[in-house]
Amino acid sequence: MTRGARELCDAAVAALGRDAVVSEPEQLRTYECDGLTGTRVVPALVILASSAQHVQEAVRLCNTHDVPFVARGAGTGLSGGALPVADGVVISLQRMNRILEIDLESERVVVEPGVTNLAVTQAVAGHGYYYAPDPSSQQVCTIGGNVAENSGGAHCLKYGFTVNHVTGLDVVMPDATLVQLGGKSLHTSGPDLLGVFIGSEGTLGIATQITLRILRKPDSVRTLLAGFDSVDGAGEAVSDVIAAGVLASAMEIMDRLTLEAAEAAVSAGYPSVEALLLVELDGTSDQVEEETGRVLEIFERLDASEVRIAQSDVERALFWRGRKAAFAAMGRVSPNYYVQDGVVPRSKLPVVLRRIGELSQEHGLRVGNVFHAGDGNLHPLVLYDASIPGDLAKAERLAEEILVACVEAGGALTGEHGIGTDKACSMPLMFSKDDLAVMARLRRAFDPDGRANPGKLLPTPRLCGEVPGPYREHPLEKAGRAERF
Amino acid sequence: MQSVSERVEPQTAEDASLALREAGSAGMTVSLDRPGGDLVLSTARLNRVLEHEATDLTCVVEPGIRLSELDAVLARHGQRLALDPPGDPTVGECINEAMSGPRRHLFGAVRDLILGVTVVLADGTIASSGGKVVKNVAGYDLAKLFCGAQGTLGLVVRAAFRLHPRPETISTFAVDLARPRDARPLLTALTTLNLPLGALDLLWPGRLIGLVEGSARVAQAQLDAAAQALGARQVDNDAWERSSERQRQAAGVVAFAPSDLAEVLQSEPMALIRPSLGVAYVERPIDSPQSPGLLHLQGRIREQFDPGRVLVG
Repeated sequence: MTRGARELCDAAVAALGRDAVVSEPEQLRTYECDGLTGTRVVPALVILASSAQHVQEAVRLCNTHDVPFVARGAGTGLSGGALPVADGVVISLQRMNRILEIDLESERVVVEPGVTNLAVTQAVAGHGYYYAPDPSSQQVCTIGGNVAENSGGAHCLKYGFTVNHVTGLDVVMPDATLVQLGGKSLHTSGPDLLGVFIGSEGTLGIATQITLRILRKPDSVRTLLAGFDSVDGAGEAVSDVIAAGVLASAMEIMDRLTLEAAEAAVSAGYPSVEALLLVELDGTSDQVEEETGRVLEIFERLDASEVRIAQSDVERALFWRGRKAAFAAMGRVSPNYYVQDGVVPRSKLPVVLRRIGELSQEHGLRVGNVFHAGDGNLHPLVLYDASIPGDLAKAERLAEEILVACVEAGGALTGEHGIGTDKACSMPLMFSKDDLAVMARLRRAFDPDGRANPGKLLPTPRLCGEVPGPYREHPLEKAGRAERF
Repeated sequence: MQSVSERVEPQTAEDASLALREAGSAGMTVSLDRPGGDLVLSTARLNRVLEHEATDLTCVVEPGIRLSELDAVLARHGQRLALDPPGDPTVGECINEAMSGPRRHLFGAVRDLILGVTVVLADGTIASSGGKVVKNVAGYDLAKLFCGAQGTLGLVVRAAFRLHPRPETISTFAVDLARPRDARPLLTALTTLNLPLGALDLLWPGRLIGLVEGSARVAQAQLDAAAQALGARQVDNDAWERSSERQRQAAGVVAFAPSDLAEVLQSEPMALIRPSLGVAYVERPIDSPQSPGLLHLQGRIREQFDPGRVLVG
């Protein structure tokens, strides 16, 4: 341990107590990465905060000792957002796991950041409510992490993302002051800083108290499955459902490769088809009845095979279990896999999926496709074998080229996993130098000294080289037929 | 005597950028779409629909277009922007003032519907954030920053929105409500019914009105349910115009925890209330001071975006 680190550790112990400080090398290694396990950095120190005051004290220590800090929830993030900085402090929020208030009349729940996503729903389910954002990791991921990443989930197609469900935040700013954004009321004045903070990946401060909007559980939920001869066919069904004015709560597609892996993993009873479409409808029973009719008509018109409707909650859960386990199930068909997260306009799904198929052939690596089709959010799973020299690099290149295809189709670099360290150097694919410079101005306004989660979200010369990858003009833009976003 | 402001009506982001740069170097102040600066930068001619991707349920527009004009374009494909503030503001005004109307109950406010922006800062920098896809977490969300910024951070020259299908029918029910203590039981009964209402407004004192949108059959079932459980009666849809009018005429806004509704009703003789949002539009001005920490932060953001204080809010 360096002298600086020793002094920092002593100061932390003096301020917060031995119990709140992790400094043993063995223990520090527990924090060396998040869900992006390929990149690891051991921090100088971990502080286990139990209160907003603790967080303030921890940030103040970092300022005094001029070291960066990284906030961490459950560490399930997939983009390296909670990757420590060497010589820096990780501020763990997992001890702050209390549900502070359940205000049913307001339909709000106030929680600490370490509360898990699912715990919120569990706390209000008995009263007929639930918390809508449902990332696949909801059993373990924390609300604080959801705020940092603006997490979505399968049902955000109808209900929106974390940013649409958080009404208030207490934030410990990088200067250690506490600022309140919003509250139980949705009325605020001035720029929407609540909206800016959510999804800022821990770079603008640390949320220490979060007010959530809860929703009434719909009276009726129906889940349908349909098999198609091709992923394109399933994609067409998605477009038709949308065109019919049906706002499904979720529409998910899995291709044969992912289906087979998921089936092998959890025996969901999926049919053996080229592509499987899962549609969920919810609302009043009349509404769901009517929409089911429309969706079935579309399935019939498109010659879907194996159309099934879940007959019970148990069966519905089974339909979903395979989908939610799809990533992990890839371990059965490949020693290693990389989860990509890109977005395309829904209408461009077929084009981009074809491109992914070509890229897969070119690179000689298999790609499984599982995606939130309703909102164009792709999760291609690039399969590789780390024991084969060069395979990982090939997988990374392939994954990057998929992103390029998404951005060229008018899409985005990430739909829900975040930029983190993983995609910071890819930001110039989507944003110009000026775009990034303006984002940097926003960051400076919150964090002039650059101590909050440095190296994440925006490309830095140290991370990406002096000249980050080129921003490529879209062909339509080049032709003057469209402008960039 | 006040000097007469110059007025510029740029047609492109580049024109707006040039005008801002020139004004800045001449030491002039600029106001965006409103009087106040030495130069008034107007979005009157930045008023096109740039894209309407019907199959994607998204559109990209310039800020000078009025909601009614945009609605006419979207209606051709049976879609709409579910934003219904009073009057017929431009899209730019909706963003600058963070406007919303009754449908915020279900669809959210501008900040919930906006997908991306291109802005021009006071120094002429043109920058984009977000995109035109409904799901996107790449980079900071400048679109949200500009919602409610009242033109103090820069000029929005382009914005992308998510759209919704137009409902087949729109109908309205009303329940009388005159005593503060009756409000909570009524809302609880309504919650128990679990109707996916498009809007829910309390025109206090007087009545609670609910907006039912959907196919004729589904809407009728909801109206019947409300009638049976709450004694609601169907009323003309122009009830929402009265609601809008009250919102437009309000001098102040009371923000409250929705569970404190009864207290608000006790203290406000007259108000338009959105109970689920915790927002009451009242006739008297409300002084709601912001915390010093928040003001400080807002000041630092302004300092970063417009260090020369060219823009007057």
